[in-house]
Amino acid sequence: MTTLTTSASTRRPVRRGDQNVARGYRPPAWLGYAFISPAMIFFLVFIAGPFVVAIALAFFKWDLLTPAQPAGLSNFARLFTDPLLGRTLLTTFAFALASVFTHVIGGLLLALAVNRVANRAVSYFARASVFFPFLISWAAVALLWKYVLDPSFGYIAFYLGQLGIPSPQWFTDPAWSLPAIIGIDFWHTIGYTFIIMLAGLQTVPNELIEAAKTDGASNRQVFFNVTIPLMSPTIFFATVITFIGAFQIFDPMQIITQGGPDNSTMSIVMYLYQTGIQAFDIGYASAIALLVFVIIMGVTALQFWGSRKWVYEQ
Amino acid sequence: MSSSISRRRALQLFGLAAALPAAASLAACSSGGSGSSGSRKLTFVFYGNASQQKAVQAEYSGFVKANPKVQFAAQGIAAQNWAGFANTVATRIAGGAAPDVIDIATEGLGIFRSKKLIEDLETNISKDKAAIDDYYADIDPTYKKWSDEYGNPGGKTYYMPGGFNTVCLYCNKDVFAQAGVDLPGTDDWTWDDFEAAAEKIKSKTGAYILPFGSAQFTDIMPWLLSNGASTLNESWTKPVIDSPEAIEAAEFCKSMVDKGYSPKPGGNFDAATQLAQGKLAALAGGRWPTIDMIRLKLVDKVQIVKMPKKKQLGTPIGWDAFPILTSSQNKDDAWSFIKYLTTKEAGQDFAKVGGTNIPARKSIALSDTFLNGAPKGSELLYQAASYATPVPSPNRGAESQQAVEQTWLKILTGGVAADAGLKQLSTTLAGLL
Repeated sequence: MTTLTTSASTRRPVRRGDQNVARGYRPPAWLGYAFISPAMIFFLVFIAGPFVVAIALAFFKWDLLTPAQPAGLSNFARLFTDPLLGRTLLTTFAFALASVFTHVIGGLLLALAVNRVANRAVSYFARASVFFPFLISWAAVALLWKYVLDPSFGYIAFYLGQLGIPSPQWFTDPAWSLPAIIGIDFWHTIGYTFIIMLAGLQTVPNELIEAAKTDGASNRQVFFNVTIPLMSPTIFFATVITFIGAFQIFDPMQIITQGGPDNSTMSIVMYLYQTGIQAFDIGYASAIALLVFVIIMGVTALQFWGSRKWVYEQ
Repeated sequence: MSSSISRRRALQLFGLAAALPAAASLAACSSGGSGSSGSRKLTFVFYGNASQQKAVQAEYSGFVKANPKVQFAAQGIAAQNWAGFANTVATRIAGGAAPDVIDIATEGLGIFRSKKLIEDLETNISKDKAAIDDYYADIDPTYKKWSDEYGNPGGKTYYMPGGFNTVCLYCNKDVFAQAGVDLPGTDDWTWDDFEAAAEKIKSKTGAYILPFGSAQFTDIMPWLLSNGASTLNESWTKPVIDSPEAIEAAEFCKSMVDKGYSPKPGGNFDAATQLAQGKLAALAGGRWPTIDMIRLKLVDKVQIVKMPKKKQLGTPIGWDAFPILTSSQNKDDAWSFIKYLTTKEAGQDFAKVGGTNIPARKSIALSDTFLNGAPKGSELLYQAASYATPVPSPNRGAESQQAVEQTWLKILTGGVAADAGLKQLSTTLAGLL
């Protein structure tokens, strides 16, 4: 009879990790905190800390250079009586909604087009071309577009002139200034949404599309009944971040129009900046900052609530 | 002994980390201090970008040589305009990064004095009376009067005045010659002469006479002042921008745009390049366009003439003013630096470099060192100080300037009639004073 014995020497060597698991070992807590500390410190110093300070400052009248005076709720009360704030909010919402609409649709269409390109070199070139403007700083973009849209010397004025159409006063006519900024922002930022959409598109399983086609679905049916539902989490993500980004728009307005003409391109963050850094009314600027926070939180919550109706969860 | 940190303790530490920036900023607000005690580092802040830092540092090499123990650091701050620069510096001070000396312009005089951020220099001046008297004796008395009235009221001296800028026209002589228009030389010319010249230049060469824009200093004030108008009254306490003369000035500028004598405002018109290419007959500016003229090798092709007048000769004047911050830890060296700026030696060094403004000392501003290599007629920029008016610069200068410029632009582009626009602007300015 053969007796099977298991000696320590013949057993698979126990690795330290296995031993730890076997004995219910848990790494020390400080190790976990050490790993998360860079992110936590960054969050606390640059986000949570300033946020708490902003809440506190909203209850003071402070011009940065002389001691702050308690102001009670007056800064918040002023939010409801400031006519320029209302105008600014409307402008910002208009810009944000236009951005979401144009970026999501434009980004999706561009992604679909590039995704269809079979030639790898052409595909990479197209991706780089669409994404490239996003890498350029807003200052350079603003200068570039001020040249392009110059009503006397710009390319657009030249080509419109060739067609016998007078060039609009892009940055000096209140009717054109916001559409001009929306157009420039689209050119500059569409690459970001495009990359997100392209990534989402590539997660759509090809076999599902093939199966739908085998069942006789047209391209249109495949797009609306297969691609879009499977892309819906990506579209939702793009919608949320585009709105948040657009609601905080500042650079193009500050550099190109300084909020004009007639405050037609004054975004809420630009108004916040002007209130705080030009008028030195830090308390009221803090109240505006909190309002921006509440609006963004509210709209984002609404978007999440609405997403249950159209976002397909696998 | 446990090596782990409890969750509560970790949160306490993170909370401390969060509180640090807030505490630091509040501490900075209360003290505004900079530098350690006994430090010989001297920080000087000026309006300019980082690329100018080296040139500015070199401009004051005389001070550096004479004060080898002082570590002199010139820091350029880029901004959209002088009012914006003043705001940026104020924000820096609030953030705890206060310099020792600032090169502040007229647009920033009020904010620093009203917040009690700058030193009264009277004690230092009396200590170096001979040197300062020598300086004042060499500068235009009108300029000295403006400096005292707007920068140093109440018999105290907060700001030592430095170089200044007025506005004249840089004219492309070839374009005027091609159109058969004589330049006024050192004589005066009128709005009518100017418009007639614009019509001839447009019809014979196709060039614009001048870009009519909305920059307060160069595009608005000369036209207001040459018609006896302004944005604010003499004491900068009341708007006068809706006067009939101001409305007439705005309508004149708009008519020049409407008639096609000016490119449409609102784009990125590069006036210096267009002037070089003969597509523009003139551009308005102080000393600073001379730098462009040198760069574009246009000095010989360009002549400086006075702004045209309607009722009177008129041009704004804005000047550099040098205060010492109350928070400075090195006030003695700061005063040494300011005193150095008033010397002939510093003026000569500045003249050699060329500079973007007119030296305060007449002997330097009208010297060959400063005028050689500059366009013909450059002396008119200095002489304009005698009939100039300080650019109105209330404490809330940045907001006022923005309101003025936006309204003017709206008028030029037909967004509002001149009278209605300026009336509305007057109400806005009244709210900011």
